[in-house]
Amino acid sequence: MRNTRIRGRVSGRTLTALALLLSTLTLPACGALGVKPWDHDLLAQRAMQLNTHPHITACHEHIYFSKEGSSGGRTFDGGGCGCN
Amino acid sequence: MQLKRRKMSRGVAPALGLLTANLLLATAALADPLGPAAPPPVANANINDDTETDLGLTRVDSAVLFYHEANGRVQTTEPMISVAFNSEDGDVLSVKLTSDTLTGATPNGAAPWKQAQTFTTPAQAPGSTAVVTSASGGSSLVTLPGTGTVVRQYTTPAHQLPTDTGFRDQRYAVDAGYSMQWSPESRVSIGGSVSTERDYRSGSINAGYSRDLFEKNTTVSVGLNLEFDQSRPYFGTPTPLTVMSGDAKGGNKSKTVQNIVIGVTQVMNRIWLANLNYSAGQSDGYQTDPYRIISVVDPVTGGPTQYLYESRPSSRFRQSLYMGNKIALGPTFADVSVRAYHDSWGINSITAEINERIPLLSWIYLEPQARYYSQTAATFFHDYLVSGQPLPTYASSDSRLGKFSATTLGLKLGIKTGSTSEFYMLAENYKQSGKSTNPNAIGDLASENLFSGVNATSLVVGFTFAFR
Repeated sequence: MRNTRIRGRVSGRTLTALALLLSTLTLPACGALGVKPWDHDLLAQRAMQLNTHPHITACHEHIYFSKEGSSGGRTFDGGGCGCN
Repeated sequence: MQLKRRKMSRGVAPALGLLTANLLLATAALADPLGPAAPPPVANANINDDTETDLGLTRVDSAVLFYHEANGRVQTTEPMISVAFNSEDGDVLSVKLTSDTLTGATPNGAAPWKQAQTFTTPAQAPGSTAVVTSASGGSSLVTLPGTGTVVRQYTTPAHQLPTDTGFRDQRYAVDAGYSMQWSPESRVSIGGSVSTERDYRSGSINAGYSRDLFEKNTTVSVGLNLEFDQSRPYFGTPTPLTVMSGDAKGGNKSKTVQNIVIGVTQVMNRIWLANLNYSAGQSDGYQTDPYRIISVVDPVTGGPTQYLYESRPSSRFRQSLYMGNKIALGPTFADVSVRAYHDSWGINSITAEINERIPLLSWIYLEPQARYYSQTAATFFHDYLVSGQPLPTYASSDSRLGKFSATTLGLKLGIKTGSTSEFYMLAENYKQSGKSTNPNAIGDLASENLFSGVNATSLVVGFTFAFR
């Protein structure tokens, strides 16, 4: 019980620290990445959108929210229903 | 039979009606989508070169989810339709309607046993003398001797997972949002949603801000969401860790959820787009499942001595780190994402997902999908409680709070029917795996299957189109 609690606390802190570290390191580095506007041919494709089929994503979010202990990540983690 | 008839009338029929209506609407709209001078839409229906935007168009997207769990468990039919009005300036007003019909059996939380088990639940709402359920789905109405109280009882055969077969619900939800260009480099958005079902109500509001940096190769964003929920169990809210009974229970309970999502979307190079999100959410209020119980078993034999209503903490803090990637590999497009999750209930999880879109012809593509998920158990998860031992403050046998892994395998099919329209279909199987038997379990419970994970198949059929 105690071990589980300690492990959980460390994991939560680790997640927060990792998020802060990644955002601190990646944002300045973002300036060195990327492409010029004339190289957007592939990025402009519909298939390159982060969410090509919102209804399918919503179905997945709903199924996983109601059947698993985790939720969120891609977007907000609320469910809006009483299935979990 | 009664369930099937209900499902046809309340689920499948409206779902098919929605799709038919959308197809008819599409036919009318696409007859002249871009004005008389525009070329036929099918001329640009090439999925290998599809850079059409929705600027200035109205997009309609409708889909139906058919979800089916094995062994007579939950079945869902969920039609949905959304309409997005896009201005030439990039402003978007969107509205989405969803309906949800659920039927079937759901685990009640009790452990299986070598003998049949009978469970008693209320049959009357608090303060009412009217019986609000009927004897259906394997349950029966019984008048308790001497009290005149009518209760509902159902029996689970020996060695089977106890499930409540009276599970049935209908949900309606409306989502609306508006996003606009705030400046050449930034966007703002607001939105909200309401949903109602017979025993649950939910409402939420959200706001977001995003800003482009470094020649629009980087987008940083932040979103906030506030959700207000009310749990309205059919027969009232039971007091946690009290004995399951047919007595009327307490009043409704509420919960609030506050969320923040901070994200960075980055063009890595000509073929790679990456998205990194950190999200945190705090839930406060009633988070116990009012219908779920947990077995208290004999310390020697493992046989059930009583059933208690479960109990969960009223506070939960969730965090997750998500990374999504879109990668163009030759003519194919890969979608690769991972998520690490942790919450204050002690659940840690990892999720990995990959989808690969493969064009077959200029108008049709296939997209195999695979997802793996693994979670640890909540600190208060127990398969059962032991008679004679002190009761914990919190206890739940909900397998969704237990340790398990899950895999999803699916195949999506997309057919371009015009420059701005597509028919799509996804079939997939979702299977949870966990420790089914525990040799260390008490007495004869060691030979029972204590894992109640699901094995579900689902089908999504949808059609989307846009017109001016």
